[in-house]
Amino acid sequence: MKRNVLFLVIIALVLLGCSMLHLGLTNVQAANAQAAILFKEFRLPRLLSALVAGAGLSLSGLLMQNLFRNPMAGPYVLGINSGASLTTALFMLGGFPLMAHNFGLVGSALLGAFLAASFMFFVSWRVQQTTGLLLVGLMFASFTGSIESVLQSWASPEQVKQFFLWNMGSLQQLSAAQIPWLLCLFIGAVIWSFLLVKSLNAFVLGSEQAFQLGIRTQRVRIAILAITAILAGSITAFCGPIAFVGLAIPNLGRQLLRTQDHLILILFCLLFGALFLVACDVLLLIGEPYFSLPINVLTSLIGAPYIAYLILRRS
Amino acid sequence: MIHFKQTQIGYLQTICTINELKLEAGKVYALLGLNGAGKSTLLKSMAAQLALLGGELLLNEYPVAQLRKDAALRARQISFVASHFDGVEHLQVQDYIGLGRLPYANSFGRLSRLDEQEVRQVMELLNIQHLAHKETRALSDGERQMVSLARAFVQDTPILLLDEPASYLDFLNRENLLLSLLSWAKQSNKCVVLSSHDIDLCLEHQLPILALAGGQIHQLLDLPKKEVLSILLKWS
Repeated sequence: MKRNVLFLVIIALVLLGCSMLHLGLTNVQAANAQAAILFKEFRLPRLLSALVAGAGLSLSGLLMQNLFRNPMAGPYVLGINSGASLTTALFMLGGFPLMAHNFGLVGSALLGAFLAASFMFFVSWRVQQTTGLLLVGLMFASFTGSIESVLQSWASPEQVKQFFLWNMGSLQQLSAAQIPWLLCLFIGAVIWSFLLVKSLNAFVLGSEQAFQLGIRTQRVRIAILAITAILAGSITAFCGPIAFVGLAIPNLGRQLLRTQDHLILILFCLLFGALFLVACDVLLLIGEPYFSLPINVLTSLIGAPYIAYLILRRS
Repeated sequence: MIHFKQTQIGYLQTICTINELKLEAGKVYALLGLNGAGKSTLLKSMAAQLALLGGELLLNEYPVAQLRKDAALRARQISFVASHFDGVEHLQVQDYIGLGRLPYANSFGRLSRLDEQEVRQVMELLNIQHLAHKETRALSDGERQMVSLARAFVQDTPILLLDEPASYLDFLNRENLLLSLLSWAKQSNKCVVLSSHDIDLCLEHQLPILALAGGQIHQLLDLPKKEVLSILLKWS
């Protein structure tokens, strides 16, 4: 317990350092008057995107893994991102003029994420094995991808370009005006998760035992789906689909801290998830003069081998 | 402690009807029956997981319908041990047993010092202190079942239900488990119901037998094995 608290404090300190470094690296040469605007319009949103996306995706991964009782669950592999992506594509490429506002973007992504989460949860009732579930997630992602391609063939070149850039996943899309949207949703979801700690700990034993331990299981299931959809949906809306963070970080947390206490695990996911994505972005910033990569490439480069290692170790 | 009144049990169709039956505190009842007779369904109804199809069922004076709705009350009246616990990765034994105190914990699931003391005492009672820091995945079948029993003991409910707790155990562990249950039921005045296929073990320890056959429960006391078997088989 003490060891874990110390661990969390260290992560928090490293995160602070990394964030300062991030702000320093995005420093653009400018006169003082312009510097303030650049800070507000460019540097701060990018750092906040990294912090919120890293923390939020890790937390949603932790909750999914708890609900499905499956360490290989996560918003990306279970197609939550795909759902958000599909409705966002409908909104961006279908060109609904009424929705041409931040509200439309967030609303459509949230709707898609929630529908996808509910669909996958329904599938998990019927398909008990991990492999089957992940395959359905994969099929779902491929299916939504195809629909997006069909939509693209109808859309104007300008719309296609906008959608393509979004779909690459980027921390530079968030505008200063969108910050309150993202922060409100994120903070709300985090508070809600903390209120569920007791239920999450009971759910580790499966929903039958949780029921006998006095948990309102049905209510908690819906809450977990809603929180996951809010987190993955809003982050996908503003940053595009970001892979592997939600899957890898919670597994790393359980492995390092050797606990199933979700108070500690939530804190770890928030801190380490944020640290992971900020550190990835710092790497991208350092490399920027030489090459330009989408954030997705870097998270997959690190995340995918780690997950492969976990599966190999297990079998 | 447990009172059946014209209780009808089943998922969609009635599997079994219990006209009038009272189970007392301080005793360990053995629920016997052939496969498919409805032992698990009956236990699930008693655990408030399943709604009744008719009649009444009182658990420590509370109607089962009330316990289904009131989660906090339910967790303080009934505890349940499943036939098998696979263990959970990275979950240590003492934390697993501690989950049994969750109904008494605050909303963040933190245990008080008293709760932790209770966990230690039960571990000593069942003689499993040496397992405290082991991972639940790394336990043997026998150890896992003892640890599950400990989790149910710390939940400290007047009613304890066990679904075939001995089916994965060797004869020594079966004996251990049953002796622990018997002494706990007597000392703490709890009502314990376990389902089993081990007729010899139940008779040897003179457990009151609830024979589930032909959609009814027959309460048997001090009958020889031959007669118990004939009652179980008569209706199949």
